Amino acid sequence: MSNESDSKSRDENGAGIVFAVGIIAFFIVYWYFEIQSVRELLEMAYG
Amino acid sequence: MIFSLILNYRKTLCSGLFFVVLVSFLFSESITSSHLAVLPIFEWMETTWFGVAGKTWGALFAVVQAGHLIGLGVLGGSVIASDGRLLGLFKGLPMRLVVDRCHSIFTWSLGLLVATGVFMACGVAIKIYYMPVYWYKMLALALGVLFVFFIRKPIVDRDLDKVSPWLLRLLALSSIMIWFTVAATGRWIGFS
Repeated sequence: MSNESDSKSRDENGAGIVFAVGIIAFFIVYWYFEIQSVRELLEMAYG
Repeated sequence: MIFSLILNYRKTLCSGLFFVVLVSFLFSESITSSHLAVLPIFEWMETTWFGVAGKTWGALFAVVQAGHLIGLGVLGGSVIASDGRLLGLFKGLPMRLVVDRCHSIFTWSLGLLVATGVFMACGVAIKIYYMPVYWYKMLALALGVLFVFFIRKPIVDRDLDKVSPWLLRLLALSSIMIWFTVAATGRWIGFS
C-alpha cells in the first residue's frame, strides 16, 4: 500500500516537473517573441 | 522493465507527450485547417441571444465586462496569495490553510470568468476569431485549467511537509506565469 502510494507520489511529482518546466519554457519563448515584435515596431516608428 | 516504467510513470509520460503534441500542432499545417473549421461556430455565436444582446446593449456588455474584470482580480489575488505562500512569502500564515482557501476562491472566480467571458465572446465573436492573441489566451486558459486541476491540486493536496519545497516553488512559478499570461492577453484583446 505504502509502495503504491510512493509510486503514485513519484509519478505526480514527475508530472509536476514536466508540466511546470514545459509551461515556463513555452511562455518564456512566447513573451520573448512578443517583446521582440514590439521592439521592432518601435524601431520602425522612431528609428 | 519498460512496461513497469510506463505503468509507474504514466502521468509523467502523458504530460511530456502532451507538450510534444501541443508544440507539433502549433507548428503544423493542421492549425490553419482547425482555425477555418471553427469559423462557423463563431459566426453562430454572434447570432445567439448572448451575441445579439452583447452587440445591441452596450450597457449590458459593460456590466458583464465589469463582472469579468472583478473575477480576474479575485482570481489574480487567489493566485498571488496561494503561489506566494508556496514560494515562501507570508510565512506567518499556515500553508495548508492559505492553499485550500485560495483554491476554493480560485474555482469560483474561474467560474465567473468563464461565464462572463462566454457572454462577451458572443458579442464580438467574429472580431476575436481573427485575433491571434485571443487564441493564445484560450491556449493559456486551457493549459492553466489542466495544470491547476490535474497537476497542481493532486500535489498540494498531499502533506505539504513531505513535498519538496523546490517542486512547490516550480509549481508556483509556472502557475503565476500562466495566469499572468491569461490576464495580459485578456487585456490585450480589450485594447485591440
